[in-house]
Amino acid sequence: MKQRELYLFVLPALVIVAAFAVYPTVYNFVLSFRDVNLISFIRGTSRFVAFSNYLEIFKDSTFQSTVLNTLVFTALSIFFQLVIGFLLALLFNYEFPLKGFLQALIMIPWVMPIIVSGSFFRWCFSDDGLLNNFLISLGLIQEPIRWITSKSLVIFSLTLANIWLGIPFNFILLYTGLRKIPEELYESAEMDGASSFQKVLYITIPLLRPVIITTVALGCIFTMKVFDLVWVVTKGGPGGASHLFSTLSYSLAFDRFQFGKSAAVLVVMLAIVLALVAWLNLMRFEEP
Amino acid sequence: MCCRDEKRVWPLKGASKKKGGVKMLRILGMRRMLAATIMGCLLGLYFWGFSQEKITITIQTYWRSTESTPRFIEQVLIPEFAKRYPNVEVKLVYVPGGELLPTILMQAASGTLPEIIMADNPWVPQLIEAGVFKDITREVMAALDWSDFFEGHRLVTSKDGRIYALQLHTNNLALFYRKSLLEKAGVDKVPATWDELLEACEKIKATLGIYGFVMYAAADEAGTWQFEPFLWTNGGSLLELDQPEAIEALQFLTTLVERGYMPRDVVNVTDQGDVTVRWFLTGEAAMMINGNWEFGWHLTPDVLQQLGDVGVAPIPVPKEGLKPIVPFGGECFGIASTIDPQKFAIAWEFIKLWFVEKIGEYYQWSGHIPTRASYTHMVWEAQPLQRPFLEQAQYALPRPLMGGIEKYPNVSMETILAVQKALTGTQTPQQAFIEAANKIRSLFTPEEYEMYRKMARDILDQTRARMLAGG
Repeated sequence: MKQRELYLFVLPALVIVAAFAVYPTVYNFVLSFRDVNLISFIRGTSRFVAFSNYLEIFKDSTFQSTVLNTLVFTALSIFFQLVIGFLLALLFNYEFPLKGFLQALIMIPWVMPIIVSGSFFRWCFSDDGLLNNFLISLGLIQEPIRWITSKSLVIFSLTLANIWLGIPFNFILLYTGLRKIPEELYESAEMDGASSFQKVLYITIPLLRPVIITTVALGCIFTMKVFDLVWVVTKGGPGGASHLFSTLSYSLAFDRFQFGKSAAVLVVMLAIVLALVAWLNLMRFEEP
Repeated sequence: MCCRDEKRVWPLKGASKKKGGVKMLRILGMRRMLAATIMGCLLGLYFWGFSQEKITITIQTYWRSTESTPRFIEQVLIPEFAKRYPNVEVKLVYVPGGELLPTILMQAASGTLPEIIMADNPWVPQLIEAGVFKDITREVMAALDWSDFFEGHRLVTSKDGRIYALQLHTNNLALFYRKSLLEKAGVDKVPATWDELLEACEKIKATLGIYGFVMYAAADEAGTWQFEPFLWTNGGSLLELDQPEAIEALQFLTTLVERGYMPRDVVNVTDQGDVTVRWFLTGEAAMMINGNWEFGWHLTPDVLQQLGDVGVAPIPVPKEGLKPIVPFGGECFGIASTIDPQKFAIAWEFIKLWFVEKIGEYYQWSGHIPTRASYTHMVWEAQPLQRPFLEQAQYALPRPLMGGIEKYPNVSMETILAVQKALTGTQTPQQAFIEAANKIRSLFTPEEYEMYRKMARDILDQTRARMLAGG
């Protein structure tokens, strides 16, 4: 086949990517340098303001706490999702009764719509909610813990909810990776007298390395852009204390009609995600 | 058929010229006739289709089909309109509440606005400014009495003397209470002042162990809207949040939370019809702030009858002798500026049918509060529970004009975020409002700020004067 024909085959995909990925991203980038509000958005009369959107958001205390929130939320989510997902994958690598049934149960958070699980968490975490009632009835606490009505605690409560939501995804990727490791390696290790812990440490983890890195990379992307969970549980509150980039950007655009600033927030988010994923990709190709 | 003919005909070309030529001509002729017939049929179909083609007028709202207004549109207006204009199809399109404004923005930017646009009243001044609505001054003046609309509704739907939309109905906020719970707690008078409310809540908490009072304080416009009655009645303004009147109002609500009279969870409620109503219905809260739309939503006649003890009173005021000043809600309708003249005439006919001919029937059907003085008596007689809302409606204030018009969404967000910070103890009311006032001031140029601050102050003072004069 000629080179030109080959390009023809790629064309449909190129058009779709250009229309639905490249154009919006570029447009967003352009917006972030303009002063766009409701009126100028509709009329198309926005002004070029260079970096002033960026300067303003960097000065804003809500944005500063959003950066911190997103980092805490992403780092803790990924760490615990990965560890718990990995432990579960190790467990399910063995045969035991009811394995299939339990495996299906683990997948539940994944198949449940976020609006449902989010509503559940809101009810669970509220001052008079399930969790506090439970802890009080056990006598563990006297006063309700302010899971989502306290500025300092709210992001950790949301992270907890997100960890629960993300376990199935991590589990399924790691579990699939685990099944591909040849049994003989473990057998020969056993012959050499390796303990279970040593087998995990010296066989499983090194061989799973590419899978783990891919899982973390995907996790970074998915977690950084979480929107629905936070929106359903707190709308970024109380007092803007639980915003992530995504919710802050949405609120700027559609509560306040500051489309330029909203776009600037997304550009910052995109830059961080790209940097993280690029770094992880580099790690994947390096020899351990 | 045609393909089989072809196979038979073309090989004859060279074999027998004469015979084949005649046959070919004949067949060619048949083919032409066939083609002509098909063409004719297609053209016929096209013109038939054209004469039958319906003109479609789309109305876009955020009301679920079960609510009273869309039912009125579907069951009364559309059938009536179809009788008069058989070739016009009126379509009612639903967009979820939170999505409607973004949808209108995208439609306006891409030139795909529906013919008839519904907008929540706070958005209207901005949408007028952005050129979304067509000027309907001439049509409105010819068809109805513009001065019959309460002042606030005229202010919000017009600009520089030109009319761009009409407000259909209005709503506002009052105090819903459960008589039986108040009685059980030994509260013999429905609280009318802040002090009485605190006292009642204390009794309710002590005897029943439930919350005395709930309201909506989530981080959105509706949260600000529920705070505004406390702010405005105390003489505060959104553009003067660092003043004592505003701080006092916030301090009052913070006290309610601190003393355990109001759950702190009010900052995480999804919407005004969500858990606050559930707490009220299940008796977990004795009083709530909510709007009159609840009578068409959760507090329907059968529910009210079952509970048997729901009453409505004005929102408690800071001091005896004052009357609550509330913001008004309610939706406005206008016609898209991008519409062509033929469709504009039809769309206006539809609006006229609704706002002129059927408006009385509409208010009766829906139980909504009229935006026009001459229809108020209809609801007053029919629905005594609505009376606090009706009384407040004539003095209710347009939100955007009280907070910097096009910057109102920003002012509103800064306000509710500060309210949340105080209610959750992140900051004291004073700290929260001083910070918010600074942020709000930085949204404007000093001249703009002064102009809008004065506008809000004037409207507030004039309204208070009118209320005093009105007794």
